[in-house]
Amino acid sequence: MGNAELKLAPAAPVSFEQEYAIGKFLLMEARVLDEERYPEWLDLLTEDIRYQIPVPLTTYRRNRASTTALKPLFIIDDGFPGLKQRAAREATGLVWLNDPATRHLRMVNNIEVEATDTPNEFFVRSKFLLYRGRRDKDIVSHAGWREDILRQTSQGFRVARRVVHLLERVVMDKNLNMFF
Amino acid sequence: MTSFNYQELIDSEQALQKRSIFWDPAIYEEELKQIFNRCWLFLGHESQIPQHGDFIRTYMGEDDIIVVRGKDKVVRAFLNACTHRGNKVCQAEGGNTRSFTCSYHGWSYNTEGELAGVPLEKEIYDNLDRERFGLVPVAHVESYKGLLFGCFSESAPSLVEYLGDIAWYIDVVTDSAQGGLEIVGAPYRTEIPGNWKLPVENAIGDGYHVAWAHAGAMSVVGALGHGRSDNVLGISANNSGVDQSAAIEVVMNTHTVLTTLDGQSGYALYDHPEPVLAHLEKNRPSVIEKLGELRGRQLYGSETHIGVFPNLQIIQGLNFIRIIHPKGPGKFEVWTYAMCERDMPDATKGVIHDHVRQTFGPAGLLEGDDGDFVEAITHSAAGYATRQLKGFLGMGMGRKAAWDGPGEASPGLVNEACQRGFYDQWRRAMEAHNAHEIIGQTEPTAPLTSILREVRHG
Ligand code: FES
Ligand SMILES: [Fe+2]
Repeated sequence: MGNAELKLAPAAPVSFEQEYAIGKFLLMEARVLDEERYPEWLDLLTEDIRYQIPVPLTTYRRNRASTTALKPLFIIDDGFPGLKQRAAREATGLVWLNDPATRHLRMVNNIEVEATDTPNEFFVRSKFLLYRGRRDKDIVSHAGWREDILRQTSQGFRVARRVVHLLERVVMDKNLNMFF
Repeated sequence: MTSFNYQELIDSEQALQKRSIFWDPAIYEEELKQIFNRCWLFLGHESQIPQHGDFIRTYMGEDDIIVVRGKDKVVRAFLNACTHRGNKVCQAEGGNTRSFTCSYHGWSYNTEGELAGVPLEKEIYDNLDRERFGLVPVAHVESYKGLLFGCFSESAPSLVEYLGDIAWYIDVVTDSAQGGLEIVGAPYRTEIPGNWKLPVENAIGDGYHVAWAHAGAMSVVGALGHGRSDNVLGISANNSGVDQSAAIEVVMNTHTVLTTLDGQSGYALYDHPEPVLAHLEKNRPSVIEKLGELRGRQLYGSETHIGVFPNLQIIQGLNFIRIIHPKGPGKFEVWTYAMCERDMPDATKGVIHDHVRQTFGPAGLLEGDDGDFVEAITHSAAGYATRQLKGFLGMGMGRKAAWDGPGEASPGLVNEACQRGFYDQWRRAMEAHNAHEIIGQTEPTAPLTSILREVRHG
């Protein structure tokens, strides 16, 4: 899974405290999103963030990775302004599909932290399960894993890069207007 | 003959559509036969499969289809069904291959669809006649300027006949494209719980819903750049299109077009339309030369929604091709492909891809808004009383606009002319006795022969 080479031990050691703090950060971030506090979520990102959700194309193993006319395709490939725009849409009060409000629940686990060549940046893998409940029984779930670069700043951790890997080729939801 | 009273289901005089057409499984079954087994259906674009062995999968109605370029460079389409016992012979959505090998007993077919390998053939069969067991081809496959279509009906009119007047509008997209149109790779795919007709008529003609249903999105799209809604007209937060001189809806025999006529507003929703607008103006003189003043000035660059019956939309400006695949009466898949000109600078292509993703991809700012009402219209028709009700598409009836292009034009993009045209066409297709009647030809009364194997094997 993912693009990183399989390593049995982290490339460089990460202290127990740092690993613990990163885990706490990801749980807090998930809760901020569950509570639809989008402006605060934006504060948890770096201004140079790149946020991507690739489409998991259904190809034969031998045809993987752009070896044919099928090119990579992204559901989201945003920098900070794009994410801000998505958050701004939610804040307009004009998104009828979120009123009555959508209920969100995010679970994050299988967190693995690695040091990188940049001293204050960490490569973090995590797995998530996102449930979204709407109306009477419109319950949808999305499972996947993420590859993040978290940057330690004077204000705490910030997400500097995120790649969200979903499992479904055909999106089985009326939209993916949410953050993973 | 069928037992449905189509006059009652689609009342053209009153512009009423009975809501059971979104729900009734028997009507849906009839649609698969009358519409999806007879009309020319979009398969993809040639640029998706440039090399020998390149293939893509798609659907024609609910039939699973392999589209593949053979050794002779010819594009063919086949039912994705093993002729031994019916397993799928291809499970990938696209790629490149020398053969399609069935995972059940290992029969293998070449890129021309011929049965090329049968495990243990000598030992277990006495003279298996391989000729009889090639993949079953779609009766007709034709390309219109790179756009690939297939048709199951043996006795169908040609693709050009089927497209008819809509080709005049499609040409604006295909002929203006420098180096030809380009679709790179795979489509976005989303499954939505609703009837397939609703997203089709929404995309081809519902200018009314844009400012309201997408109000949240409309107030933020374009906000990242500048020069959008201030100086570019068309569908935007500030101009919901009630200006009757700013757009027309055109109903043709079979197909429809909605267009804004100003030659630039296709790019009204872009955050950074500048590179695309610059490209348009650079290209415009050659488009005028090729296609004339009317198309070069008024259509090229406009927001134009080309609706090819039954389920294809080619949307200039927003720059995507969209197909709606039916998946039962209450479900459909939306396939959205960004389209570019092959010889555009990469940076300009990038602007288009970014825009398609941000607006009408699965997480697009506008895309998600339509799911709820499409679902609600469909599923509330489960109620017997609700199902007896009729939808009303009477807006703009009798309004005519002067228009020198083909088709009958009605002014304004907040208008329901295209949607009425779609349901009238639906009715005609459902009542038709053969593929010719679908496009209003009185031609042969030969029965629908479909893609029966006997046809191929004599
Ligand atoms: S079903 Fe395909 S080989 Fe038997
Ligand atoms: Fe819409």
